[in-house]
Amino acid sequence: MLFSVLIYNNETLVDALSKEEMEEIMSKHGTFHQHTKTGNNFGAAVKLMSTGTALTMHRDNNDVVVTDGPFAETKEQFLGLYLIEYPTLEDAMEAVKLLPIEHGRVEIRPVDFFEGADFRNGERMVVNEAFLDGVDTMPADT
Amino acid sequence: MQSAWISTHLKASRPQALAALNRYFQDIDLAEDAFQEASIRAVKSWTIETIPKDPAAWLIVTGRNYGIDQIRKRKRETLTAPEDLSPVPDEVNTSDCLADDLDRAHFRDDILRLLFTCCHPVLRKDQQIALSLKIVAGLTVDEIARAFLVQPKTMEQRITRAKKRIQAAKLSYEEPDSAQRADRLHAVANAIYLVFNEGYSASQGEELIRETLCEEAIRLTRLLVRLFPEEPELRGLLSLCLIQHSRRRARLCDSGKPVTLEHQDRAYWDRTLIAEGNVLLEAALLKRTPGPLQIEAAIAATHTRAKSFAETDWAEIERLYRALDLIRPSPVVKLNRAVVLARLKGPQHALELLEPLSAPLERYASYHAARASMLHELGSQEEARLAYEQALKHAGTATERDYIRAQIDKMK
Repeated sequence: MLFSVLIYNNETLVDALSKEEMEEIMSKHGTFHQHTKTGNNFGAAVKLMSTGTALTMHRDNNDVVVTDGPFAETKEQFLGLYLIEYPTLEDAMEAVKLLPIEHGRVEIRPVDFFEGADFRNGERMVVNEAFLDGVDTMPADT
Repeated sequence: MQSAWISTHLKASRPQALAALNRYFQDIDLAEDAFQEASIRAVKSWTIETIPKDPAAWLIVTGRNYGIDQIRKRKRETLTAPEDLSPVPDEVNTSDCLADDLDRAHFRDDILRLLFTCCHPVLRKDQQIALSLKIVAGLTVDEIARAFLVQPKTMEQRITRAKKRIQAAKLSYEEPDSAQRADRLHAVANAIYLVFNEGYSASQGEELIRETLCEEAIRLTRLLVRLFPEEPELRGLLSLCLIQHSRRRARLCDSGKPVTLEHQDRAYWDRTLIAEGNVLLEAALLKRTPGPLQIEAAIAATHTRAKSFAETDWAEIERLYRALDLIRPSPVVKLNRAVVLARLKGPQHALELLEPLSAPLERYASYHAARASMLHELGSQEEARLAYEQALKHAGTATERDYIRAQIDKMK
């Protein structure tokens, strides 16, 4: 089954992290990448830009209404997600334990429908290679 | 590592908690003391496992209780009759005031008021920068003094005087109307840009502390963009700061000397920041209410689109400077436009544009340096040399002087 792993945290706190704390967090993500890629369970990793870049679109009658920022004003913001494939929820939970779940909130939610690159066999596409150096220690094409 | 995490929570909560305490006490000094005391108590009583779910709320309640005690003590010292103590608010009930304090609508105006207090028009620019860094960003007096190359004692005095001036101005704690809110936002955006530029211009001070100034300015702007996403000038400011900051690795060569835009290795530009800066600018421009910060961001963004200095779209940059000069006329903008026009239409045309700027920019080294380079290009070597000497005379920093001397050497 394909699972999404949705990552929330307080963006103001994330902005305040020191370099060392950021490295500590990234190294856990690195371990997660390595673990899920080794077992061929890795589907996708998505890190979103700051919520300040977001727009919200809505159709009102026939007018498209664009408002600035994310829709809900919540204390925690949606920062990114993983897609991982495991036979059971229990297996997925086991993998998620590798993530820095002591911070913020991490939600596991099964995927109902997915269409995208065939990550089991296909080549991978990376947007922003520079970021990858921090998390990925796996050789390409595995 | 544990205490590091706690201090990160304190740092992240600082603007919100201080802003709420400032509203409550209507006294920036007491608010700062109260936050300080609450932070000390937090360090003593929190552990990594017991950090409160809402650290800012914890700090606000603790700080508020401390502040009320202080007010009581002061009253006891000045008054003899115990019944005069009654106007002080009742003992704060933790759970009751949480809902009130963390009301998001309050939060926006609280933060804005705190920032506006620190960069109030009654303050000089250097006071605005110092106060914003001290109160909102939470930098120590020593750190700020190092950034400005002054003695900590001098900086302490600057901050104290700024606070006195704020108190004398008797700021309004009323909720601002939308026009006032917009005015405040613009004042705050400009002050944050000053902080960023202080770090960015790398004219003096230690490298490390200057990068901290840039990062603090970016952090504050991110907070403001989150709170006021509908204000395009704030997105413009964030875009501008991110794009400028993206060049930080390319701006210094191995020996630590600055490298001009023309000679920077663009492979060192931080593409992540550039991408974010560009999309922020695009989102800001959708509002169709241009402002100086959006235009400056657009100029910076135009540079990021050129693969090399030679491929720069100077015509677009010239249009943007012209627009900037329409919105916010200034001799420096006119100078920048003339420098761009020298590339597009040749030095003779640009020199004519410089003529009317000679009086307002008489003490501005860049004016003389630009003029010198145009004269040199036209073959007026003696006039060029004289202009470089003027530039040398008005250059404020060793870096600037080095750059001008190098230009003079090239002429020989």
